[in-house]
Amino acid sequence: MLSGLGNPRQAAAQLMNFGLILSTAFMMWKGLSVITDSPSPIVVVLSGSMEPAFQRGDLLLLWNRNVLSETSVGEVVVYNVKDKDIPIVHRVVRKFGTGPDAKLLTKGDNNLSDDTELYARGQDYLVRKDIIGSVVGYLPFVGYVTILLSEHPWLKTVMLGIMGLVVVLQRE
Amino acid sequence: MANSQEKITVYNLADLKNTSDDAIPNYLNSLKFTPSHRLTDVRLALGYSAFALAAACFLWDYKFGFESTKTYTAAAVAVYTALNTFLTFWILYIEKGTIYQGTSPDGQSKIRISSSVKKHVPIYHLTVEAETATKDGMRKEKVVLKQPFTDWFDASGRFVAAPFQTMLATGIPVVGRFDAKRVAASSEGTTAYTPEMLDALASAEVATGTESKKTKRRKA
Amino acid sequence: MYSSLVRIQNTFGFFTTVAFVVAAFIAASDFITPRAPVVNTLKTTNLQVVRGRPHYYSSKKEEYAIIKFTLDADLSSLFTWNTKQLFVYVTAEWPSSSSSSASQNATTNQAVIWDTIITAPSSDHLANLGPASLKKLKKSAAGKSIDPSRGKLSLKNQRPKYQITHPSGKMASTEDVTLRLHYNVQPWVGILSWNQNVDYGRWKKLAGGLSKKFALPALKKQDEKKKA
Repeated sequence: MLSGLGNPRQAAAQLMNFGLILSTAFMMWKGLSVITDSPSPIVVVLSGSMEPAFQRGDLLLLWNRNVLSETSVGEVVVYNVKDKDIPIVHRVVRKFGTGPDAKLLTKGDNNLSDDTELYARGQDYLVRKDIIGSVVGYLPFVGYVTILLSEHPWLKTVMLGIMGLVVVLQRE
Repeated sequence: MANSQEKITVYNLADLKNTSDDAIPNYLNSLKFTPSHRLTDVRLALGYSAFALAAACFLWDYKFGFESTKTYTAAAVAVYTALNTFLTFWILYIEKGTIYQGTSPDGQSKIRISSSVKKHVPIYHLTVEAETATKDGMRKEKVVLKQPFTDWFDASGRFVAAPFQTMLATGIPVVGRFDAKRVAASSEGTTAYTPEMLDALASAEVATGTESKKTKRRKA
Repeated sequence: MYSSLVRIQNTFGFFTTVAFVVAAFIAASDFITPRAPVVNTLKTTNLQVVRGRPHYYSSKKEEYAIIKFTLDADLSSLFTWNTKQLFVYVTAEWPSSSSSSASQNATTNQAVIWDTIITAPSSDHLANLGPASLKKLKKSAAGKSIDPSRGKLSLKNQRPKYQITHPSGKMASTEDVTLRLHYNVQPWVGILSWNQNVDYGRWKKLAGGLSKKFALPALKKQDEKKKA
């Protein structure tokens, strides 16, 4: 049904509906970011280093505010390392000191040794600001789609194309 | 519009409604009604400003990162939510399914038509509110029409304009005033259409050009 | 084409809605299941502080502590149909040496000395074990989908898995050290939860779980020679 495209107002409305779907999804994500204070409040597990707790493709909900207590030992945190793109999900196993400068050491439950080797050269510990959130919620398997998408980039194009077509062609 | 010549899936209620919705402005504009786009324009303004805000938020987030822009992002999220809530409110309670708003050719009447369908029930609901200026002031009338879609769609999914326009002309007094022929046609007792007649009407429509369609049909 | 696409969309939409509602109910069921974890015994049995390389990849020699302990705990109530695994860990905690004033009893140093993953029978296949021990593990809960008996821990004179260090390199004669048992319940879906210090509804706080304060001994000279 391309009928609407003859009328500029209807065409504008249809395009707007498509735009609003995208922008609403984006703003919901940003809203969640603001609430959790994390740049990436939902992450997909990419490695097996926290198995059996988390497997590849599981979805984790993060929380990055220290309302009641500081980030402490035993929490599973997602952190970024300088010059590395991919955030890592591991458990805090040591903490020395308090406050923003406390030294934190992490380790994957399924790894034999701690993360010292994963950190940047010369870095022995993490500090609070390296962490983008602690895992609070868990949803299995749902994120596998994104792994498929990143491993097969052409799928992205196909999916975006289909989504665009469906929304533009359909009027409700 | 090309609508009337395009076949639709008769099982798709949204298609039936959209095609009928599109036919109303065409018909009324052909009767020299002046459309008003205020409702649509407000909706478009709301929607596009919300989208522009989200796009701006995306840009600054992409360029400067989350940490340094999070106050602005929080504000943008709040404003976006407000805009979207107002847009929803506008669509649900102000537009209320309005598909046509306009003024009659003599400038005496203002008309507002809204349509709706119930899920899985192939009946077209029209609510028409008209205001006519008379010597005694404004006279308001409200007409509610309910007609099955089968009255103006044939089995193959083609839209047939004549019965549809007759339905509007007879059901809505303000429209009837400007299309006496349609009203007359119905008073001759030809409210029921035989399949043969519909086929004839449909083929006549296909045969005539889009431009001259309206006048020719009214002669028929 | 149009209507079949719409049907696929509707079916998929309905499927996801149902899946999410079911998941939400499962996650919510955690909160109405009572939890009453108890630690009967947690005490140190042997303490050593040694100077050397705590790991094969350590670049410098530093003091590290080896704390052996005895643990007896019943965490069986943490195993429900939504429990995927229980992560149990023992930490050593001690205040910082610089702020040794008695008023500041906040723990500033915390390090895991031992941990274990207890899988639920439903996640046994994910356990990182050799084929033989995996078979044994699966057999231990044959026919059971929940096995609360796995939550009963009894360790005697357990060697620590991790030798603990401090960034200052000094561990010897550290005072006011305590051991604390913690757990982290990993659900199949829902909220991760840890041990609590207060009751939350049907979830009781962890009873016990804190050892008596102890002091680490002075550096043991001979031990270094043996190990190095």
